[in-house]
Amino acid sequence: MTETEEKADPPAVMIEPIDISKLDPDFREGIRSMPNGEELSACFACSTCTAACPIANTWKYKPHQLIRMILLGMREEVLSSEEIWLCLTCFECQERCPQNVRVTDIFFDCKNLAAEEGMIPDSIVGLAKELVDKGQLYVVTADWEREDMDLEPEVPGLSTEEFKTILKGTRTGQIVGGDE
Amino acid sequence: MPSYNLYMGCSVPANYPNYETTLFRVADKFGIELIYMEGVSCCGSPNLRAIDYMGWLIVNARTLAVAEKNGHDIVTPCNGCFGSLKDVYHFLTHNADYKEKVNAKLKKTGVEFKGTIKPRHFIEALYNDIGIDEIKKKITKPLDGVGIAIHYGCHLLRPKDVTEFKPEIFDDLIRVTGASVVEYPLWKQCCGATVLPVNEELAIRLARDKLKSMKEAGAVFTTVSCPACGNQLDLQQLGLKESYGEEYNLPVLFITQILGLAMGMGDDEVGLEMNRVPAGPILEHLGG
Repeated sequence: MTETEEKADPPAVMIEPIDISKLDPDFREGIRSMPNGEELSACFACSTCTAACPIANTWKYKPHQLIRMILLGMREEVLSSEEIWLCLTCFECQERCPQNVRVTDIFFDCKNLAAEEGMIPDSIVGLAKELVDKGQLYVVTADWEREDMDLEPEVPGLSTEEFKTILKGTRTGQIVGGDE
Repeated sequence: MPSYNLYMGCSVPANYPNYETTLFRVADKFGIELIYMEGVSCCGSPNLRAIDYMGWLIVNARTLAVAEKNGHDIVTPCNGCFGSLKDVYHFLTHNADYKEKVNAKLKKTGVEFKGTIKPRHFIEALYNDIGIDEIKKKITKPLDGVGIAIHYGCHLLRPKDVTEFKPEIFDDLIRVTGASVVEYPLWKQCCGATVLPVNEELAIRLARDKLKSMKEAGAVFTTVSCPACGNQLDLQQLGLKESYGEEYNLPVLFITQILGLAMGMGDDEVGLEMNRVPAGPILEHLGG
């Protein structure tokens, strides 16, 4: 390495400054108390999760940044981010975390909090409607194909009523709206 | 001979009767009894888990509790169902307070989750309860020399502490047919199916990454143990012709179709014509 005389000035703003007054100090504890959130604060920001993610290159906030944002209390930014919904749920990040932070599970927790506040992509609301209306994501339409394969035209044992009733009484029911 | 509660989920019966029928045909060869579960429906998928964790816990705990009535383990041919059932089973057997909450809700439906039976993927049950030696005895038409790339699927493999699935199981089930397992760099990577509802372009890119990695490593077929992965890798090959101008011609077969062929079943018996990328020409070429 050769030393040069010229030294670049540090950039005036390296990242968007964080407005401390907007931070929610309870956010981290909120996530920690959710399913599989216990290890959250063990994160030492090594960014192995980001290296493991097959799509982090397309994300504005990378997985390790999202975890850091949760720890800092950036509730609004995390819950309104599109990244949590783009997560493939492939668990590559979680599997490789040297601190056993359950990264993918924590993103599920974030989505649940976002859902509680009504921040859900339309396409996912559409799927929730399907679940409540039909009691399953896919419904047999081509029953002749089943018969061609020596199967009963209708799936033996299938009953969607209990499934629909359960989901109408949980958050899914509220998401799809009203008593319908 | 072993009996299991068969949890079909929604995708296999609706989209892949060829997978469902080969599941039974292969099970038959070993005297395995598969009992369609009564009164159950969908697992809700990771989408339900994302928006309604409690609802997802309750519906899957209910499925597990229904199976507990006859005491047989659950087997499923779908990685998505497997992932949901396995995760809920793991979570509720490790979190007594949630188990209590869930059971309070289930009381109305007349069942209780105790955790006395296990949810398993069909191929794991086949491997562990029948064993590779017994399977080998049924191979009458070996797929000698055929290079097969395995797409294991995320929810079959991870999180490892939850799924408890060893990838060697899948490898051995392919090798026992006489085929060779083609190793390829992106073997662990996601097929992109889960992101399809929110970003189709990204989903296509991910399918392309996988197919390219398999093809470049010399695969003749790829095999899957999940209808969502199967759909994504098979169907997107048509899309990739349009969007990227690329042709992969890599037939995507369900593991039970591969096993069925190696056990001497005909193309029609394994429902080969339902696979969109045709496998027939390659099989003929092999002298089948």
